[in-house]
Amino acid sequence: MNTLLDFLRKYNYFFVFILLEAVSFVLLFRFNNYQGSIYLTGANAISAKIGGLYNEGVAFVGLRNRNKELTERNIILEHQNNTLRETLARLGHVETTTEHNVREVLRDFNLIPATVVSNSAERINNYLVIDKGENQGVRPEMGVIGGGGVVGIVYLTGKNHSLVIPVTNRKSSISCRIRGGNYFGSLQWDGKSFLRAYLDDIPRYADVKPGATIETSGYSAVFPPGIFVGRVLSVGNSKDGQSYRLEVQLGTNFSSLRDVEVISTPYKVDIDALLDSAKVKDEADQLNGLGL
Amino acid sequence: MFQTILSRIFWILLLTFLQVVIFNHVHILGYATPLPYIYALLILPSNTPRWLYILIGFCLGLCIDTFTNTPGIAAAATTASGLVVPWFLVAFGPKDLGDDDTLRPNHHTMKWGPFLRYAFCAVTLQCTLFFTIEAFSFFAPLDLLFNILGSIVLTMIFIVILELIRNER
Repeated sequence: MNTLLDFLRKYNYFFVFILLEAVSFVLLFRFNNYQGSIYLTGANAISAKIGGLYNEGVAFVGLRNRNKELTERNIILEHQNNTLRETLARLGHVETTTEHNVREVLRDFNLIPATVVSNSAERINNYLVIDKGENQGVRPEMGVIGGGGVVGIVYLTGKNHSLVIPVTNRKSSISCRIRGGNYFGSLQWDGKSFLRAYLDDIPRYADVKPGATIETSGYSAVFPPGIFVGRVLSVGNSKDGQSYRLEVQLGTNFSSLRDVEVISTPYKVDIDALLDSAKVKDEADQLNGLGL
Repeated sequence: MFQTILSRIFWILLLTFLQVVIFNHVHILGYATPLPYIYALLILPSNTPRWLYILIGFCLGLCIDTFTNTPGIAAAATTASGLVVPWFLVAFGPKDLGDDDTLRPNHHTMKWGPFLRYAFCAVTLQCTLFFTIEAFSFFAPLDLLFNILGSIVLTMIFIVILELIRNER
């Protein structure tokens, strides 16, 4: 305290100087228009500068929160964008002729729309997984069709997902016929191109030309008759030379498959029940010695 | 003591009067205006308290301002001179001065050389401050420089004349 007082006493003249200079400058700015205007301009510029710096500082301090908000907003918008894109893709889909025809054929059938969630299009034994399962009414051995025609057959079902054996799987064998001429064969895949499959066992007397339409025969109860499968690309001989082997250009592009429909056949249960009862009858006949 | 104070007051009033009536109307070549009222600060005895230097400087400047219609300019310049002049006096005054001795600055006690250097420093400071504050910008630096240099020369001439008049009675 004493030191402070000593300091003030020792340098009192300096405070007098500051005070009197302040008075002088107040007089200067107050009563001289020229210096006053310069002072005002300068003071305004300085206060504007300081205000600008302060605002910049506040903005900088607020950047963290701003950044967080923007990130959240970005995530929300991204999500919205994806949803809208999906909707747009669904709505913007133009129905093809094949789709139209297939729909005509399937008017009496109950179709379960589904989306392919997993699609292996690289291996020999390809499988598709669709996002509908038992809860939605999908059962094994139901047919699956897409915009380009036949896709495959349901193999296994889960609660909400199902495994589909597509045409492009070597296990797949779908009964087909040539439209207009009742020649039947089974559609097989050779494991090479996703765009082609082969229709075996077409009798040699059949009148087949490249470009003919291949459709389902309806014999297997999986698919109703008349669903588009593909077109004949070329006609060749089978290994044993007894029949034709048709190279078929598939209507479905399996590498970009997305929206499919499962055919819930109302007749299949009937047919299966009939077959089962026939089997039971056979066994009963055997037991009775009638089968001998 | 009383006589000294009266003498100082007389000089202050005289210098103010001279400045207002004569020196302010001197504009040699449009530039040089003498400001010899700083002489009143120069001749204060060395035992004057420093706050009194500053106060006298301020009052002197304020008087000049009042009569020349330049509020604050001379006051600010002379107050600053009042702060610095004692340091010049210590720097240029005789070194063999005892603590109790009082130096009355004039060309007898200090010799002409140190006294003129002492006066020159103070005058340079005063003129620089005065004209800088008056211009209040470096818009025309060359004009400002001529103003300051011319005024320093002229003020020094008048201070020598005043010094001769005061001490050759």
